[in-house]
Amino acid sequence: MKNSLAFRCWSLALLLCTGAAQATPTACENPGGGELEPVLAAVARLHSALTAPQLALLERPLTRENATRWSNLPVGVVPRAGLRLGDLDEKQAAAARAVFETALSPCGLKMLDDVRHADDFLIPLDARPIGWDGRNYYLSVLGQPSAHKPWMLQLGGHHLAYNFTFNARKPGATPLFFGTEPIRFELQGVSYEPLKVQSTSMRNLAVAIAGYSQAKLSGTFTDVVKGVEVTPVPGQLPKGGTDTGFPQTYPAGTNDRGVPYSALNPAEQALVRTALRSYASLPGAAVSQPLLAAYESSDALRETYVGYAGATDLGEKGSYVRIDGPRIWMEFVVQPAVAKPSENHYHALWRDKQSDYGGEVGH
Amino acid sequence: MIRAWLVFALAVLAMKAQAHHAPNSFVRLDFRAHEVRAQLMVPVSELTFAMHATPTQQALPAYLLKHVGAVTPQGAAWTVTVTAVRPTTYLDQPYLVASVVLAPPAEASVRDFTFTTDAVTHEVRNHVVVIVAERDYADAALGDAPKILGALQYPGRELAIRLSPAAPR
Repeated sequence: MKNSLAFRCWSLALLLCTGAAQATPTACENPGGGELEPVLAAVARLHSALTAPQLALLERPLTRENATRWSNLPVGVVPRAGLRLGDLDEKQAAAARAVFETALSPCGLKMLDDVRHADDFLIPLDARPIGWDGRNYYLSVLGQPSAHKPWMLQLGGHHLAYNFTFNARKPGATPLFFGTEPIRFELQGVSYEPLKVQSTSMRNLAVAIAGYSQAKLSGTFTDVVKGVEVTPVPGQLPKGGTDTGFPQTYPAGTNDRGVPYSALNPAEQALVRTALRSYASLPGAAVSQPLLAAYESSDALRETYVGYAGATDLGEKGSYVRIDGPRIWMEFVVQPAVAKPSENHYHALWRDKQSDYGGEVGH
Repeated sequence: MIRAWLVFALAVLAMKAQAHHAPNSFVRLDFRAHEVRAQLMVPVSELTFAMHATPTQQALPAYLLKHVGAVTPQGAAWTVTVTAVRPTTYLDQPYLVASVVLAPPAEASVRDFTFTTDAVTHEVRNHVVVIVAERDYADAALGDAPKILGALQYPGRELAIRLSPAAPR
């Protein structure tokens, strides 16, 4: 199981010396947000601020087809449904913003803003065009917003997909996709690194577990494994690009899933929990806390594995880190950048093996 | 008119191709009376990882013979022959298209078998092979509406194909 104790000690020492570990943020340890009543009130205020045609875009039935219609491809390739944020006037935008503020944690709200800024950064490079634009993000309310019956809040665009299901049979914080291109950039004098928290956490984890031979996953990773599916159809437009593969199947047994959490030392185990919290703290706490409690139960952690492939510093394309437990499925992958292929960009995905879409979308 | 629109749409999308998701593979099956013909369209980018080398038209048949097959419900292997390989481009990305003939053992049905492949998926964990019934000598309507039979992703490598028996001719 272990290559060498010395190597692992060296890895952790390196983290501490380089300051990487101390860079692991904890800003969303108590994120707040996601309480149903404030979300409902904000959605109602947005409803009253919109025109009838806008409401027709925003409010649609909670069906499998509508719920699974999220993607990590630009909107010019996979058009989204919903209310386009770039089409809102000032008053409507403020009302929509209030929905985001109530549904998301501060970290989740910052992720939304920063990922949209990344798309804004790409606008001058979008010569084809494929819709890189921070205004091309969409909000949908699926089902009737209710204090008791299931409904979904869906917010996303090119590199973001928030899918929160309220009043569901199971806590509904997933599927949750996020990514960024560029990894870091400057826009109007402000520096951004949208996935800094998550990439730092996953990098720290990969470095820490690299000394365990079991941690190295077999194969090559050119994207997240359980993401959207695109089907090339010769002579025709490609099909899919949304979550048509739901429900997913997941690895079973102990082979090739990474090193068990139980085999890690306390410092390494803490890095696992930090990494999973960096994802789970994006939705409002009321949405994600039940899931976090489930993931961090001793029973769940006993059956949780962490693995990596490629470069542990996440500096090369194909670098990949994964947390895989009885319910939790979190991936992080480094891909070539699209606008500047010599650079890289990130994709990250959080799924729950039991409660994607809150268990409300038919299999 | 429809064809002109399609050419236009593909041209537009070709310009958009760099917004790519890691490309997947596509298998089109053509059910004949005594054999199944398959067209395997495999992206060169992902094939490079799987073959650990730049894939060539010459090298692909040997690779595919190790990673594509079919067996009867009783487990008897079909004969697999790669008859041609050609390059193509789809949305600006290079692919290789292999023509493959799958022939069942004597007396075995061509409509009841298990298609097996782990081409690319044995190495690339996010890769998906989508398998479609495109033509069926016993179902003329299929040509107008190809049917997705299934999709394979690691570690899956088997797809049971159970078509309704052909009507006597």
